[in-house]
Amino acid sequence: MLPRRSDTASALAPLLGAVLLTALALWTLPWREGLGRPRTLLDRSTARALAPGYRLITDALRAMPGGASFVVRTEPPDAEFETWYHRLGVALAPGRRALPAAYLGVFTPPEVWREAEYLVLVGPRPRQAPGELVLSTPNGTVWRRGKS
Amino acid sequence: MAPLAWLGTLILLPLLGAPLLARGAFGRFAPGARVVLAAGVGAALVSFAMTLFCLAGVPWGLAAIALAAALFAAALSALVRGKATAPAQERLGRTGALAVALSGVCVLVALAATDAGAATSVDLFYFWGPKAQQFAIARGVDTAFLAGPFHDYMHAYYPPLVASLDALATIAAGRFSWTCATLTFPLLLGALAVALPGVLRGAASRSAAAAVSALVIAAIAVIGVRANIAGNGDMPLLFFETLAMALLLRPDASDPAVQLLAGLLLAGAASAKVEGLAFALAAAALFLALRGGGLADSAKAAARLLIPTAVTLGAWFAFGATRRLFTAYSEYGPFFALHPDHWPSVATGIPLALAATGRALPYAVPLICLAAAGRPGRRAILPLGTAAALLAFVVFTYLHLATDPSQWISYSAARILSPLPMLFALAAVCARRLSREAA
Repeated sequence: MLPRRSDTASALAPLLGAVLLTALALWTLPWREGLGRPRTLLDRSTARALAPGYRLITDALRAMPGGASFVVRTEPPDAEFETWYHRLGVALAPGRRALPAAYLGVFTPPEVWREAEYLVLVGPRPRQAPGELVLSTPNGTVWRRGKS
Repeated sequence: MAPLAWLGTLILLPLLGAPLLARGAFGRFAPGARVVLAAGVGAALVSFAMTLFCLAGVPWGLAAIALAAALFAAALSALVRGKATAPAQERLGRTGALAVALSGVCVLVALAATDAGAATSVDLFYFWGPKAQQFAIARGVDTAFLAGPFHDYMHAYYPPLVASLDALATIAAGRFSWTCATLTFPLLLGALAVALPGVLRGAASRSAAAAVSALVIAAIAVIGVRANIAGNGDMPLLFFETLAMALLLRPDASDPAVQLLAGLLLAGAASAKVEGLAFALAAAALFLALRGGGLADSAKAAARLLIPTAVTLGAWFAFGATRRLFTAYSEYGPFFALHPDHWPSVATGIPLALAATGRALPYAVPLICLAAAGRPGRRAILPLGTAAALLAFVVFTYLHLATDPSQWISYSAARILSPLPMLFALAAVCARRLSREAA
């Protein structure tokens, strides 16, 4: 059975809308950056600012044994980013214990993370070594902390 | 192999819904639509089974959960009687073929953007993924983890479907797959693209159903990429809401089998995200108000539409209450504790958030198409009234925050209001020029 002419005409409005939005969808693709798979799932998202910490935490898994506790900090310290990186630490390091250096954008008291065995430090290497360096990457460093 | 096993678990969901969808009453749907509807029912029943296991203190096991879900589907099939046949053969035509091609392009765009890391939801890493990962390790909803210090942001009370299904896939695969979790966005969009034209065919001609479906798929694709929904609960929510609304708009929506199916999908929506409950209540109430009929018939229809939601959320809240974890959706304070002084932030923040998402085109274009499709029929009250109710719910929720909600609105409004363009597009099906019923 052939479609009636009126059927086709009545479908034109949603069809034109779909054409316009499909063009917009194609335009939203990151053509300039390329469509290849990036190093992290956040690299081209609106949360791309967190990608360096994401990379460092996943790299740190090689240096931190299962069951280890760790804290993610930034250099210089930033309570907002440290809040988000604590959450990434919980997500990306299962079987290890992520302790928060900041929560809801506010630094936590140092007692909260004092027992952390490892320090994952996003950003430049600090002038004073906070422990034994176990990993260094372009995104930051990982340190085994001494007993406090 | 692990990613294949992860996604494979979700692809098997149609088998668990099949005992219900195999009934002759659902022969009215094209085979592709029937498989996707079975997946939706399977997902809702699996989530319900996993909640019941937790409530009973039984650890999650793949085979036991699958068996329980299939048994629920078989038990529900006893409520379905009669047979129905698919609409008469009708050529797709050039208009319909173009619409199908557009839907396909949009699904590929969603896939490419997701694979390129351009659509990833950061909430996947904040709570959806960690919960699923931990629940898989604990073989159940891990109350100690949710109640742990500095874990408030996990939103323990959030309905369980997304975390539970992701945990099930994680158990099957042996580990959580962040990539596969993001791929649920294009996968579910593709499933909608397959099912929606078939479900809408009862309400419109084949070409019109394909065109409206393409409009829905394109709007979701743009919002999904721009607002970064890959891996969070928004796409599963849209999947359930879209199919449920499309079913309720069909001329045969008075059939008990169609109502039961819509009720199960509304339960899926309510189990996926908090706002799914608002959607389910609004859609069911408007449907009942529009259908008319006697009190007894209305009561039966209400039961078919709402009992699945009441039972699934009832089980979830019973679990929360017995474990002293939560008793309600109450993160933002008492129900009527509003902050009207934040009204200016809400009134300006929402339009700004939508304007930042493809210049608001994915919201405006379906609305313009609705106006261009001609005078809306009475049934258009259902999607448009639901859209109004959802908008009111979102404003009500934003006004609950004690502090200025501007930042919250800026990163959430585009996602939370993503069902609106879908509802505008589906309302176009009710326009007198497109409506099969009017013809």
